[in-house]
Amino acid sequence: MSMAPNYGPDAGAWMCGRCQKPLEQIRTTAFYLNSAFDVVLPRCPQCGLTLVPKSLAEGKMLEVEALLEDK
Amino acid sequence: MLDQDSLHAFEARCTQESPPRCRLACPFDLDCRAFLTLLEQGKIDEARKLLVRHVPLPGIMVRLCDHPCEQACLRRDLGGAIALHDLELFCMRSSQSQERSLPLPPKRLRMAILGAGLAGLTAAWDLAHKGYPVTVFHNGEPSEALLTRYPQFQHDVKDRNFLQADLAALEKRKVIFQQEASNPELLDRLSRQFDAVLLDVDSASVRAPDRRLVNAQTLLWRENIVCAGWLQRTATGHTYASPSAQAGEGRYAAQTMERLAAGLSLTAERKKTQGTLHVDVAHVAHVPRVEAERDVDGTALYAAAEASAEAARCLQCQCLQCVRQCAYMQKFKGYPRLYARQVHNNAAIVKGLHTANELVNGCALCGQCAELCPENFSMAELCLAAREDMVQRGVMPPSAHEFALEDMDSASGPECALTLPDPTLPETTSFLFFPGCQLAASRGTQVETLWIWLRKALGTSATPGVALLLSCCGMPAHWAGRRELFKQHMKKLHTIWEDLGRPCLLTACASCLAAFREGLPEVRAKSVWEIMDGLDISSLLGQATNRADMPPVFSVHDPCTARNNTAWHTAVRSLARKAGAVLEEPTLSTDATACCGYGGLVWCAQPQSAKDMLAHRAAQLPHPALASCIMCRDRLAAGGKECWHLLDILLPGMTKSGTGREPGPGLSARRANRAQLRTRLLAGTGHTKPCSLRVPPELLARLEERHILLQDLEAAVTGAEACGQWFANAENGHRLGSWKPRHVTFWVEYAPENQGYVLYDAWCHRMIVPGSGGQEAEAVIKAQQCCTDGSRGGQGGGRS
Repeated sequence: MSMAPNYGPDAGAWMCGRCQKPLEQIRTTAFYLNSAFDVVLPRCPQCGLTLVPKSLAEGKMLEVEALLEDK
Repeated sequence: MLDQDSLHAFEARCTQESPPRCRLACPFDLDCRAFLTLLEQGKIDEARKLLVRHVPLPGIMVRLCDHPCEQACLRRDLGGAIALHDLELFCMRSSQSQERSLPLPPKRLRMAILGAGLAGLTAAWDLAHKGYPVTVFHNGEPSEALLTRYPQFQHDVKDRNFLQADLAALEKRKVIFQQEASNPELLDRLSRQFDAVLLDVDSASVRAPDRRLVNAQTLLWRENIVCAGWLQRTATGHTYASPSAQAGEGRYAAQTMERLAAGLSLTAERKKTQGTLHVDVAHVAHVPRVEAERDVDGTALYAAAEASAEAARCLQCQCLQCVRQCAYMQKFKGYPRLYARQVHNNAAIVKGLHTANELVNGCALCGQCAELCPENFSMAELCLAAREDMVQRGVMPPSAHEFALEDMDSASGPECALTLPDPTLPETTSFLFFPGCQLAASRGTQVETLWIWLRKALGTSATPGVALLLSCCGMPAHWAGRRELFKQHMKKLHTIWEDLGRPCLLTACASCLAAFREGLPEVRAKSVWEIMDGLDISSLLGQATNRADMPPVFSVHDPCTARNNTAWHTAVRSLARKAGAVLEEPTLSTDATACCGYGGLVWCAQPQSAKDMLAHRAAQLPHPALASCIMCRDRLAAGGKECWHLLDILLPGMTKSGTGREPGPGLSARRANRAQLRTRLLAGTGHTKPCSLRVPPELLARLEERHILLQDLEAAVTGAEACGQWFANAENGHRLGSWKPRHVTFWVEYAPENQGYVLYDAWCHRMIVPGSGGQEAEAVIKAQQCCTDGSRGGQGGGRS
């Protein structure tokens, strides 16, 4: 089982607009300033289009960005 | 970054840590401020502890001291010096000795003291407390010399026990008192037998040397003999004994003896050179001394409440002249000396968090501190140097200034920048009108009108021809510490200036003027206000010289970038009066003005701090404000403070009522307005293309706080629609797309509406997530992999 933090989409039944497939929680890697983090995000299993929910972007992600910038 | 020497030079200019005058005057370095604080709080035992820690022979000294501290006290002319002497006596009389003598391992070096006067006993006290075996040679009783010199102890029964207690404490410290008859050989014998000898010249049986034979800096006479305890001499030749001076010499001599015995330098590091603490007492109220019943010898007999009230009169002298006026410095709860050290340490961190980045990027670089500081300490100088250093080493947080730099880029790019010669005199350019990108963004039509008026007004003068240049001046690059970028930008502007035949630059923005003076010192530049003030402005004002809705009185708010620019200050006031305005100067005006929070890119790096600065400044302006910088105007108005721009009263026909309260355009509108002005000037008429994305105004205002512009949102929707990369919400038909034009990924939640789209929400992040931002997952991973191998953050992806 993956140990990476898992972030589902915020409210709503989101699916890939291009492939019309429901999203799956898939592990991916986020990058910033020479650092990389494993994270599980909603992603289209067919085309790989990945969703970054608002709660993550304005929460944990913002925190980590600030931390890395001061490192 | 700062080397140690320049750091020390910086630190030395802030005197906040310098001792106050009372402490400097005290030969025992008594922390009078702390002592008085404890007394004020009624903590008498703790006050005594502090007193005893500093003052030798505390009972004797407190009784005898001639309190030079009171001569130095800044309260002296504001109700009378704090009665430190009386308070010390009160403290000693109303508390019990709590001394617990911890046995110290005896030291090997032996000390002799010849003469049991105040200097000798003080030296004995200090040396014995450090564990030196001390022998005091004296005539008669140990206390005889002291009682002869200071007879007040003989009849002062109440405090007599102080003398006994101090002598007993000396004996407890194993000080040996030895009676020794007058003997000319004695001194030489002691010099041979002991490691260091003190000759108390006021009480020893041996003849004292001429004072001139004793080294004034070290008190060393000859071999290992030190002298102390001289009488003081007035200008008229009268001699008297000063207990504080005698005991002070005793302490100083004891330090020399230690150094002598240990073979150390007698002079190194003895005198700490610290600037004098600057204290501003201009607004301190007069508070008279607390009077109490007095002793036969005039000492006040305080009751506890009276003592506390008297101690409360202490001014607790501090400098903080800059901190009191600066919201930024208050935020970090320190003072410049401390900040210099933090900034220096921040640059030295190799691994770990750079905790002072916020300090470095939070300064508005406005220079008010240097203006207020008696030593001209400049946080701006410090922070700008630190920013330049961070940029050079590649450790400046990218999010700090990127948005402002992109804005600068846009304002100077093909969309918004424009150079136009004077249409009526295309071959002659005496002046180049440079309104600045923010005035163009906020008061576009006024810029146009003013240009036309300037051309006309100067057309018949000896120096006709006014060209126009729309661009950013490059100040954001300077503020961001991007020295190279600033230089390049200035070079571009220099070329334009050269091509136009080196005209005199007229700026309507104080920051632009400062930028030109900094980056292009060879360019003659002045404010447009100066030129206008020399011309007849009646045609500009029209009939309406006194507008009905103009506030009866304005508080003039000067921009911080016009600090020390007297020509600017004078012209602005003169023009405003010509336009019928009544002006009042706020307490901090002209050279001492405060920043609105726009300076130094604080608005971009730390928006909340910028808001705090704004509120701080707004509170200093009692009337509606009159600003001569459009950013000051727009920011103050956005913060709820009525504020007019000088142009608003100079061009009365072009503003509607309520101008002073209207907040300026948002960030997206500013960009659009600049482009619009350019188009209008080029084509005579102009309007922007209709926006295909409808964004509710309150949503846009919220998004702009996060530096998401309408242009970014439009690009994101267009991008997502063009490549078909969007998510669909089956519940409500909303679409969610993302777009990463440069470093930031923008997310837009929108839905089709008529011919265009409507926006519901948006957010952004800087972290790169494969599969988002309009890029295919695979491509991103491949591009990133090479540089991140071996430096993956987080263990097992424990963090996001």
